Amino acid sequence: MSQYLPVVALAIVTVLFGALSFGASRLLAPRRPSSAKSAPYECGILPSQEPPERFPVSFYIVAMLFIMFDIEIIFVYPYAVARSSLGLYGFVAIVVFSVLFFLTFVYEVARGGLDWGPLQRSRNLESAAAVVSPERTTTTTIRRVGTEGRGEPGEAA
Amino acid sequence: MTGVLAIDPLLFGELKWMPLVIVALKVLVIFVVGLVGTMFMVWFERKVIAGMQNRIGPNKAGPFGILQTLADGVKLFFKEDLLPDRADRFVFRLAPFLAFVPAFLVWAVLPLGGDYRDGNRGLVEWFGHATRVQLADPPVGILLVLALSSIAVYGIMLAGWSSGSKYPLLGAVRATAQMVSYEAALGLSLAAVLLTSGSLSTVGIVGTQDSLSNWNVVATGVVPFVIFVIAATAELNRPPFDLVEAEQELVGGFNTEYSSLRFALFFLAEFMNTITMSGVIVTLFLGGPQPLAIGDWTADIPLVGNGLEGTIWFLLKLLLFLYIYVWFRATLPRLRYDQLMDLGWKVLIPISLGWFLLLAALRLGRDEDWNVWLVAGVSVAGLLVAAVVMFGAMKVSGRNRQQGAVY
Amino acid sequence: MIAQAAADSINVAQNVGFGIIAAGMIFAALCVVTTSNVVHAALWLVLVLAGVAAQYILAAAEFVAVSQVLVYVGAVMVLFLFGIMLTRAQIGPEKGLNNRGWAAGIPVAVVLLGLLSWAILDAFEDTTLPDRGPTTTSRISDDVLHPYLVPFLAISFILLAAAIGAMVLARKD
Repeated sequence: MSQYLPVVALAIVTVLFGALSFGASRLLAPRRPSSAKSAPYECGILPSQEPPERFPVSFYIVAMLFIMFDIEIIFVYPYAVARSSLGLYGFVAIVVFSVLFFLTFVYEVARGGLDWGPLQRSRNLESAAAVVSPERTTTTTIRRVGTEGRGEPGEAA
Repeated sequence: MTGVLAIDPLLFGELKWMPLVIVALKVLVIFVVGLVGTMFMVWFERKVIAGMQNRIGPNKAGPFGILQTLADGVKLFFKEDLLPDRADRFVFRLAPFLAFVPAFLVWAVLPLGGDYRDGNRGLVEWFGHATRVQLADPPVGILLVLALSSIAVYGIMLAGWSSGSKYPLLGAVRATAQMVSYEAALGLSLAAVLLTSGSLSTVGIVGTQDSLSNWNVVATGVVPFVIFVIAATAELNRPPFDLVEAEQELVGGFNTEYSSLRFALFFLAEFMNTITMSGVIVTLFLGGPQPLAIGDWTADIPLVGNGLEGTIWFLLKLLLFLYIYVWFRATLPRLRYDQLMDLGWKVLIPISLGWFLLLAALRLGRDEDWNVWLVAGVSVAGLLVAAVVMFGAMKVSGRNRQQGAVY
Repeated sequence: MIAQAAADSINVAQNVGFGIIAAGMIFAALCVVTTSNVVHAALWLVLVLAGVAAQYILAAAEFVAVSQVLVYVGAVMVLFLFGIMLTRAQIGPEKGLNNRGWAAGIPVAVVLLGLLSWAILDAFEDTTLPDRGPTTTSRISDDVLHPYLVPFLAISFILLAAAIGAMVLARKD
């Protein structure tokens, strides 16, 4: 246990350093709060949407799979350390364990638990041709903004 | 007996004054070296990347601009500390510490030097006491590094959530999923190292790597090393895996709402982690403080005692990895998120698990005096079957997706 | 003589450490159920689990302690927090977290506490911790792969079931 006391001491020194720096910064730094400063930072644009309420379930599945692999790791380490004394018996046990794990993992992959992002489709040449068709010009694809109430472009205001 | 041998002799037996003073000195030295090293790392990265991009880089503060980081750090002390309206005040204040403290603690278990020649197990003589150039050597040392990196995940996750703002939240969710994914790859490639060293203590791991052919990078067959370096880069959120703070998409990622000293702590933690992770790689794969030795020949640094020489070797190897990390940043474009997750789960994790079992089979075959080629053939055949199953699973999921089975 | 005295003083230090950590754990556990913010409750739970790891270190079971941190603090609680953050983690206190019939839980908790204490006291009585030094990792692997092999493989089946269950819940078929 005495092995861990220096680690604890280092942790205490680090926390003290952080806390003292905060103290110093509090004395040195200006304090001029304003509502703009304390609003969520969105590059100067007023927040118009709430932060997302729900995220894709894939994140949850990744965390779940991580628990499994953590347990695999925890059991593989003692085997790795004591391999020479365990012999064939230990090897077979760890292989059976790993194969069961691998099958679980393969099941998750096959059911699409680790698929991310939108579907990647190879580009369809015909639709690509449609995109560069002569009908598409700047006048048809670009919507002019901020021209409301100004009348038609050529018309005198 | 090995358990007793692994313990630093300084911390064994009754408490006396001198050992306590030595331990206190070690704590302070490691802390100061850690801070100064981080400052150096920031300067080093800026300077090297400037060179790679044909710029000059920082050159005003001090010789070669080496004091630039110090100037930047002092500046942050004078900046206003903002606390967003919608933040969770307690967690917002706690998060920087959760990132910063674990980053420092990894230093404690790394052998930073010492004499490992002739089975000396890193002992040096300081003030008449035999000790190690290492703060602590717990029997489960290398697992402590993994445990600390799993605590560091909390710093980023809670920073993003507690800001009460959308970009930090998105960054934090991404970061957490990325870090836990690559932690699994990191842990599995580490298992191959444990197989060759047969010990979890960092001193034990360094002790077995007494010549180039015994360095784990060679002894484990390079694959675990490559996987470990890739996974470590992702674990550090460094380019090309820096999706956490992809400026173009997320403003600044999880630390968008942080300013002044709280931001400085995250920044320090990030660079500190880069250094400590390089140190972990050096310890695990490149023999830590062991000198370069091929066969009977040892590269001896003249005029320097064996004890100090270990530190020099460690620093040289460390610098190599710091340079490689900067090189990655200058060269590689950022991955897309689905590519990142696919690389971690569908490539690195299966390969590291398979490689571990292959190594274990080969070593078992050697112990039992079986035919090497037979063992290798059977294992490779088994792994190929696993690979076919894996590709089949990926094909099935791809087909289901094409048919629109999205959940 | 001297060795005995040293061992006694270590035991005293161990008991004091146990007391301090246990008190901290009880406090954190109370906070888990009384706090009015789900994320805070999860963080207090992290503290309880970290306290368990600290107790393992005091009992010289270092590998178990690190496993506790890796699996519970590093993985299970991350899953918890993910689950909370990805669905409904509002910042600030929440109302309606307490079940209306929460008082009914008190007698259940008391009975459970009594039962567990009785079981532990009955099983161990005045057994003291054998002074055999720290548990080594190779001892653990011997134990896991010999007497406890069946539970060890059962774990992988449980995880298989859990993973399939998670997939079935997650997908809209």
